[in-house]
Amino acid sequence: MNTPANFDRIMTSSVPEVDFSSAREMQPYLTEPDQMYVGAPGKHGYLKLRFQLDPDGKSILREIDRRVPLIAQQELYFDREMPEMPCLYILSSGGPNVDGDRYQQDIIVEKDAFAWISTGAATKLATMKFNYSGMIQNIILEEGAYLEFMPEPVFPCAHTRFISDTRLSVHPSATVFYSEIFMGGRKYYKDGEMFDYDILSVCSHGERPDGEELFREKFVIDPNKMNPRLLGVMGDFEIFANVIVMTPPEHARKIYEATPVVLDRKEHIAAGITLLPNDAGLLYKVLGNDSSAVKRMVREFCSIVRMEVKGKPVPEEFPWR
Amino acid sequence: MSTPIDPVQSPNDSAQVSPMLAAMRLLQFTDSTFPVGTFSFSNGLETASFENMVTDARELEDFTWAQAVQAAYSDGVVAIHAHRAFLRGDYEAIADADKALIRFKMNAEARQMLRRMGKKLAELAGKLFDNQIASRWLADIKADLVPGTYPVGQGIAFAAAGIGEREMFCAHQYGAINMVLSAALRCVKVSHYDTQQILYRLSQKVESLYEEASRMKLRDMNAFFPELDILASLHEKGNMRMFMN
Repeated sequence: MNTPANFDRIMTSSVPEVDFSSAREMQPYLTEPDQMYVGAPGKHGYLKLRFQLDPDGKSILREIDRRVPLIAQQELYFDREMPEMPCLYILSSGGPNVDGDRYQQDIIVEKDAFAWISTGAATKLATMKFNYSGMIQNIILEEGAYLEFMPEPVFPCAHTRFISDTRLSVHPSATVFYSEIFMGGRKYYKDGEMFDYDILSVCSHGERPDGEELFREKFVIDPNKMNPRLLGVMGDFEIFANVIVMTPPEHARKIYEATPVVLDRKEHIAAGITLLPNDAGLLYKVLGNDSSAVKRMVREFCSIVRMEVKGKPVPEEFPWR
Repeated sequence: MSTPIDPVQSPNDSAQVSPMLAAMRLLQFTDSTFPVGTFSFSNGLETASFENMVTDARELEDFTWAQAVQAAYSDGVVAIHAHRAFLRGDYEAIADADKALIRFKMNAEARQMLRRMGKKLAELAGKLFDNQIASRWLADIKADLVPGTYPVGQGIAFAAAGIGEREMFCAHQYGAINMVLSAALRCVKVSHYDTQQILYRLSQKVESLYEEASRMKLRDMNAFFPELDILASLHEKGNMRMFMN
């Protein structure tokens, strides 16, 4: 990253650098923004959340560290099926992701602790002229830990360039539910802005605490190179949800059996599930044209996972969400 | 019982094989009668046809192209890496590429297909020529030290036979495209003329796929084909079994 020398000291040294300049697909998008430089304060968000189990069996947010624009709301205990579970919303005070934004989120769930994390609203990836927006996530689950990470959808706009790298370091006895929902764009903005972005590059890789890599999923969507509406890619669908569940093989097999696969072209919804390599867990994908239907599928799948691992369902979504 | 025939000594240096012999080997390894079991797989076409997503030649061409691109940026990349590693005599790099492909293949039936075909190719290679790297790879597959994926087998066998990287990539693409088109003759209402026209047209795009794949590192492998993934899942959990995927 090219940072003006005078500003070096202003940058918070404790915030890890987020740099994707070596990524092949981002090479056309390395120009420094004309506006605030890459990684400037306010454009370099950091969030660290560490959950721990209290002696009385309640899971608590033991540590929080953050840099603007990322904000974590006060944890709440609103899940009526798991009232001992902290539920937390991540927000951004900066509005949408813009040119040259960098983010890092480190989430640690300690031994036997559990948590539910989402975002307060959809994440908008703004129209970009320079550079790209990048995010690194480290999600670490210790022995017997449990995490449901279920953010609201991501909206890419025209010429958005976004890249993320998510490392899921998960103990063989722990379970992580990690979901992402990608909209095709702002369908009702002006004449419609579907698949007008420049690039979305999303990599999620799972490993054990000793660093042994179990799987590595990477998708690069470049609508200028390959039309996402092509048969086999998105086809007639506009919304895509990707859910990774790392869980012990005995849970994975039962969740796999309990999860229905769907291809309903009339209702415009499709979902499939498969087992990840190296007994890492499961991968669930949903395609649809209605975000509430896709979100409902993801939530229902999460309920199957929670029922298998924790013996409790996920409650109905709040009507205002 | 047939009389065993001695395998041919195979040099590592491709320069020692004449262009005509390399061309003969290329035809042999790419032919549909080369016994690695390609005919057993449809790569999701069986389900796509059943669900009326692929009903004619135009849809078949789109579907086949999606499969070709998906293969190029994963299997194709690994085959190229294995080919280069073989020529360097770098067995560890071959094993790394093998494991990286399994970590990248999200679909369980796809992993099964790659391993089944890879092992058959490794066994066949042992019957055709003597080569230390190929023998070690087969031994490691049997000992479960490496997964034994088909693209790695292609990299080893084609390099050992003196076939160049580009030509091997063509064989890889021909295999990916033809696997779907051959299956189409059995489960989609298309004619031989249709499938040959599709193959002829898609062949023109293979060079651009090679230009991209040949510059990719293993960590650059990528795939975005959620509709194909869901079709694969429907097959995995369903009871259609004319094909193995």
